[in-house]
Amino acid sequence: MFERNVSGKNASEKNVSRGKWKSVVLAFLLVCLLGTGAWSAPIKIAFVVPSTRDDMAWSQAMYEGIVAVQKKLGEANLELSISERLGNPVDAAAAIRQYASQGYDIIIAHGTQYQSLLNDIAPDFPETSFAYGTGYATNHPNIFAYDPQAQEGAYLGGMIAGLMTKSGVIGLVGPVEAGDAIKYNKGFEMGVKAVNDKAVVRTAYTGSFNDLVGAGDIAKTAIKGGADFLSGSSQQSVGAVKAAAETEGVYWIATDLNMKDIAPKTVLAAQVYRFEIVVQEMIDSREKGVLGGRAIPLTFGNGYIEMQVNLPLPPDVAEKVEKAKADIASGALKIEID
Amino acid sequence: MEWADLVSGVLAAAIPMAVPLLLVGLGEMFDQRAGMFNLGAEGIMMMGAFVAFFIDLKLQTPWLGLLAALLVGAAFGLLMGLVCVTFRSPQGIAGIGIYMLGWGLSGTLFRVYVGGPTPIQGIASLNLSSLRGVPYVGSVLAVLNPMDYAAFFLIPLSGWLLFKTAWGLKARAVGTTPRAADTLGIGVSRVRYQCVVLGGAMAGLAGAYLSVCQAKMFADNITAGRGFIAVALVYFGRWSPWGVAVGAAIFSLAVAAQRLIQFYGAKFPYELALVIPYVLVIVVLACSRNRDKSEPTALGKPYYREYRG
Repeated sequence: MFERNVSGKNASEKNVSRGKWKSVVLAFLLVCLLGTGAWSAPIKIAFVVPSTRDDMAWSQAMYEGIVAVQKKLGEANLELSISERLGNPVDAAAAIRQYASQGYDIIIAHGTQYQSLLNDIAPDFPETSFAYGTGYATNHPNIFAYDPQAQEGAYLGGMIAGLMTKSGVIGLVGPVEAGDAIKYNKGFEMGVKAVNDKAVVRTAYTGSFNDLVGAGDIAKTAIKGGADFLSGSSQQSVGAVKAAAETEGVYWIATDLNMKDIAPKTVLAAQVYRFEIVVQEMIDSREKGVLGGRAIPLTFGNGYIEMQVNLPLPPDVAEKVEKAKADIASGALKIEID
Repeated sequence: MEWADLVSGVLAAAIPMAVPLLLVGLGEMFDQRAGMFNLGAEGIMMMGAFVAFFIDLKLQTPWLGLLAALLVGAAFGLLMGLVCVTFRSPQGIAGIGIYMLGWGLSGTLFRVYVGGPTPIQGIASLNLSSLRGVPYVGSVLAVLNPMDYAAFFLIPLSGWLLFKTAWGLKARAVGTTPRAADTLGIGVSRVRYQCVVLGGAMAGLAGAYLSVCQAKMFADNITAGRGFIAVALVYFGRWSPWGVAVGAAIFSLAVAAQRLIQFYGAKFPYELALVIPYVLVIVVLACSRNRDKSEPTALGKPYYREYRG
């Protein structure tokens, strides 16, 4: 090849000019690629969950959020690793440390219970962003906390139940009386009382986040006690939805994500957390050099929560709920949990 | 709230809770009567719950699911027998191993072949209108699951098997004085195998009840410790089917009552309500200890035929 190029002057000149053009085109393509970010390293996200990615509740809501962002950015640009069933803090801590030492950019530990673990681990990996929720405390500059205001959608769900109940008895199936469950249950009760002061809201707790059978039993007890509207939070609520679906005329108000696939005729409405915006916000924040240090609230005001209605509501109910939603979003109506 | 409503409310909540405890408890009673201490009941229940759920999901035949759960439970019982009767491993550790195997395997199979919470048709409750006339309990008895009636029937059946048949006598003999039984020509290992297989099958059935009759779906940790509670209930019931049934009934009534107390808003911390059934079991266990001679004295001890001790 080389010999042939130098053997004739014309051929050599031609080759040199072709080579120049090639270099120019390659350089141009390189600049374009770098400009679009296609050559930048993919964002590596690790997702640590107490249950599973498809629990039809809390964990699935976040999983769907991350996958939505992955679809938007392209699969090659967001690498996702998941560790499931890490309710045990010792195992979770080992997994989180391992992900951090493998160079993951963002590690999402999806539960309040991981807060103290992250406080221990985060200072050792200052280049990694850690995130947990529900929570608002960020003790280190590389910890994000996400904080769904569960009471806002709960209030709207409570309004629907209060306006539509025929028996006047509404049941709440609680997991453990803490954190999100308190916010959700109190918000729900406030919503009921705001529209129907004669309605009774009765609450019972299973003492566990994942006792589906126990939650189903409480739902059955509530239905036997006259409840025609039920609600509740956490993974175990799937069991209660299924139990509610066995009785006609009983409705469920869901939270975290829309559970209509479990019982299409029973899940009347759902408060849905739009975690894809939270994930995108964390990625954008990292690109600006801010690795954490702040809480991301999920509210109707910032559009990070939405209310999805699966079955037709009576027009007057729909109107009142829409108005309350607008008032919550604008700040005119504040759902304050003491 | 009227008395009739209160009674039927507590019963309606307690019976579905008592049945899986009763099934696994009766199975564990046979294990222990023959000197086998099976702590793996919880794991076997998980396997039974998964297999019955999976067969109902794929073939829409819940009864076949129950049968499969029985067989899988029996297979796990056989494994327990192999480890503890043939290889004479310590029963406590082997039971924990069986528990972890059942728990992990069922979860992994569920993860690989199913995924998230998926509803199944399950076995629906009956509607026996002829029973509705019975005072207080009629409305509850009329709408029970067929498996509930089957579980009630298993109490006298177990009693008959254990106390009125030659096989029952052999089972009790190998759990109390295996050497004497062996001298009389009773195959200690064979009877222990039979009991542990029976116990495993019952545990599998108890798990299947949870997924196919009660929750009508499968989820991680669906058994939520019921297999371990059943082990305590066997001590509580002094190794008698009626005692186990009374234990399951008291525990379930206490759980149902605490849920009703919570639901109707009595003003005290719900955490206290949650621990009532467990405290009750501990108190009764502590009080009833060593009051009779029904305890299988060779419980947990491997039998060495060649050993002259």
